[in-house]
Amino acid sequence: MAVEMHPNRSIVDALGADLRARAHGARRGVYLYFRCLGQQMKAIMAYETDFIVLLLSAVLVQLAGFAVIWAIFQRIPSVNGWTFWQVVMMYALIFVTEGVGSLFFEGTWRLSSLVYTGQFDQMLLRPVSPIVQVLAGAVGFNGLGNLVTGFVLIGIAVTNVPVEWTPGRLLMLAILIVSASVIRVAINLASAASTFWIRSPWSMVPMFVHRLGDFAKYPITIYSYAVQALIVVAVPFAFVSFFPTAWVFGVDAWSLPGLLTPLVAIYAVLMSVWLFRVGLRRYESSGH
Amino acid sequence: MSGLRKYVSFARTSLEITFVYRAGFVLNMIGTIFYVVAMFYLWQTVFLGNPGSLGGFTWPEMKAYILVSFLLSSLLTWYDEWVMSQDIREGYVAVDLARPFDFQASRFARAMGPIIFEATSAVGVAAVVALVFGGAALPADPGRAALFVVSCALATIIKFGLVYCVSMTAFWTTSIEGIMVGRSAIQNIFSGALIPLVFFPDWLQSVAAVLPFQAMISTPALVYLGKLDAQSTAVAIGVQVVWAVGLLFLGRLAFRQAVKVVTIHGG
Amino acid sequence: MPPLIEAHGLTKKFRQAVKEPGLAGALKHFFVRQYRDKLAVDHIDLAIEPGESVAYLGPNGAGKSTTIKMLTGILVPSSGSLIVNGLVPYEKRQRNARNIGVVFGQRTQLWWDIPVVESFNLARDMYEIPADRYKKNLGEFTEMLGLAEFMNVPAAKISLGQRMRADLCMALLHDPRILYLDEPTIGLDIAVKDSIRKFVRARVEEYGTTVMLTTHDLGDIEDICRRIVIIDNGKIIHDGDLATLKDTYARDRVIHFQLARPAESMAAICQKLPACEVASDGLRLSVRFDRFEHAAGEIAGAVMPLVEVIDFRIDEPEVEDLIRRVYLGQLSLAPGDEPELRSAKPAVVAEA
Repeated sequence: MAVEMHPNRSIVDALGADLRARAHGARRGVYLYFRCLGQQMKAIMAYETDFIVLLLSAVLVQLAGFAVIWAIFQRIPSVNGWTFWQVVMMYALIFVTEGVGSLFFEGTWRLSSLVYTGQFDQMLLRPVSPIVQVLAGAVGFNGLGNLVTGFVLIGIAVTNVPVEWTPGRLLMLAILIVSASVIRVAINLASAASTFWIRSPWSMVPMFVHRLGDFAKYPITIYSYAVQALIVVAVPFAFVSFFPTAWVFGVDAWSLPGLLTPLVAIYAVLMSVWLFRVGLRRYESSGH
Repeated sequence: MSGLRKYVSFARTSLEITFVYRAGFVLNMIGTIFYVVAMFYLWQTVFLGNPGSLGGFTWPEMKAYILVSFLLSSLLTWYDEWVMSQDIREGYVAVDLARPFDFQASRFARAMGPIIFEATSAVGVAAVVALVFGGAALPADPGRAALFVVSCALATIIKFGLVYCVSMTAFWTTSIEGIMVGRSAIQNIFSGALIPLVFFPDWLQSVAAVLPFQAMISTPALVYLGKLDAQSTAVAIGVQVVWAVGLLFLGRLAFRQAVKVVTIHGG
Repeated sequence: MPPLIEAHGLTKKFRQAVKEPGLAGALKHFFVRQYRDKLAVDHIDLAIEPGESVAYLGPNGAGKSTTIKMLTGILVPSSGSLIVNGLVPYEKRQRNARNIGVVFGQRTQLWWDIPVVESFNLARDMYEIPADRYKKNLGEFTEMLGLAEFMNVPAAKISLGQRMRADLCMALLHDPRILYLDEPTIGLDIAVKDSIRKFVRARVEEYGTTVMLTTHDLGDIEDICRRIVIIDNGKIIHDGDLATLKDTYARDRVIHFQLARPAESMAAICQKLPACEVASDGLRLSVRFDRFEHAAGEIAGAVMPLVEVIDFRIDEPEVEDLIRRVYLGQLSLAPGDEPELRSAKPAVVAEA
């Protein structure tokens, strides 16, 4: 068809068509993600008590962790120069992002069992990206408990920041929280993709990586360089909690990397999608 | 002896399964280690800023405390609870009911199977962490070490008793996942797993004192460190015995009730 | 026009962990893992034209499901080439998905916790089925498959037969060109099997949908398929139409006669029918013959004058029997081998 056309014109058209197709694909992905997630929500809402118990249990877990920080700061004014509210902010960011992960993207945690049992087959038979289907595959209502408690803690923490809150600063805070959540979910997805290499119904790699986040509940300055490298470079949990906190509280030495958080988020997404795709080619289904 | 044999067989099979899931087990272990290591760094920094003792703990004592807590947390993992409640939920218990053995005893045997493996791995890991961080306090004399082992054994029985009771709720509710998470959160606070109870304000300490959780971690850890005099040690271990027996009994009671539910509703 | 499905040298290799039994084995496995390669599908060539209905058969573990999974894009082949409807399935998985409908008998495509109709609606959105076509198809399928009674029940709560019908409906809502059925009637009762077969046959006949079917139920084959492909140990050992399979390998027939009095002279009958196998047992007489050598009437004509016949019937070997013999290795279908005519069934026993 394009034979008659001027070559440049056809390239422009092709590019335009490609872009339109991509935009359409992205919109469709987002739409189907919410569509699937909505179904999961409905299914879970049917179990009302489970929902409440999960929510409360998540709040309890948070309070347990918070109690430790609080008890320590009862005895000492600061750890390595970091104050109580700064540490609370880091801690809360870990939990808010975890809440986003469980509430909206819990499906990543199901991937290993889907792959092990071969139920993942079904996701490959539909004309929708398996990544979208995995992300929308489950809803973890405990995430709501994490989100609420986490945001309450963040709310209290930021009132203790010795800076004035301009609209720009507030916007940046929002961008940082969103970026931190994106990084967290990308880390979940990438670690879940490990199941394509390690076939076990209890693939613990995601849990293992998840627990790395424990390091980021506290200021990274307390760690050795090896641990710092681990959570800054290898699995960028420091960008989920520490660097954004440093920026919010205006801790000069560390606040600049805090501004890089959105870029790290983009990088994390690209890496996790790439890993997932490479892993997908190794998928062996089950019971040949 | 022959009556014991079937339970030994349960323990063996369960241990085999643990090996099969080696990757899972090792990684689970490493996952907990991260928390321990993070706590080590945190406390190290705290003690660097405040040399001497904090809440009656010196840095070597605190290191020992964290490692004992880690060791006890590694025994009887969530896996046992999860499997038990799943079996109940999926109705496999009905099959077990038809078999000639005591349900609680068989579950105990299954939980104990991997425990030697869990314990040796945890001790090994604890030793490595202790070495990296310049050593930790050891029990002052063999007598105390022996008492510590006894206290740990009791703590493990209490943990089993508790986990067993919690799993029983699967007969009545589908919320077992949330209940498990809630159980471990409450346990983490009141057992002293996260931080020695002495760091809490008095009212919280009094609450902890009347709950079974402190007998699961705080008691063995304090026995290890010799924080209790002879009389308090005897009392603390006595309390452990009471909780162990009480929880096992409560579990049996719950199971008897549950079986009624199953037989009425046809499982 | 090229075939709709075309595979050349299609191969899938799996790595299997080798475990020794017992505690010692588990311990050993903990430290050293051993693997061996298994060729699930071994250089198969396959060409399926649009509108064909193909039964893909083989014993358990022969490589049927692995082949289907490669054709649908679930698995990436280890080697060989594969084109389905102009696409390489695993490379263009999502585009391929729009052209195909898949039903796995062992596993549902429905969302477990939500009402069946919601699953259909979700499928509509995923496949971007135009509203009018969706309405038309759903109405038609609901009618033909009798889905109305459980449309609003969650998939978790419907019976297996209902689930299979719902799955079949969902697989076809987007009017796929190709329908893959992996043991679609497993565990179902006769009535449901029948309605499923009828439905699939109608799709093939009216819409020209290409069907590829794996099954252990030979009723499925006879009702739906014209062509049979048999795979064993990862290799295709037969590819041809059902009639030819029967003509080539199921040539013998048996006529059973019911007699008024015991036969007086077996020798006379045997003499008249030298190429046949004659057996009698009291009032029963049976003659096994090659249907390309003799017509049934010929046999009857030869026997009737010698004995007093009350009744008779003719047995044809069933496809099921035929294929069972192939699986058991009693009948070799490899090229060059002479067909073995003797049936696996024991012939009517000894003389009276």
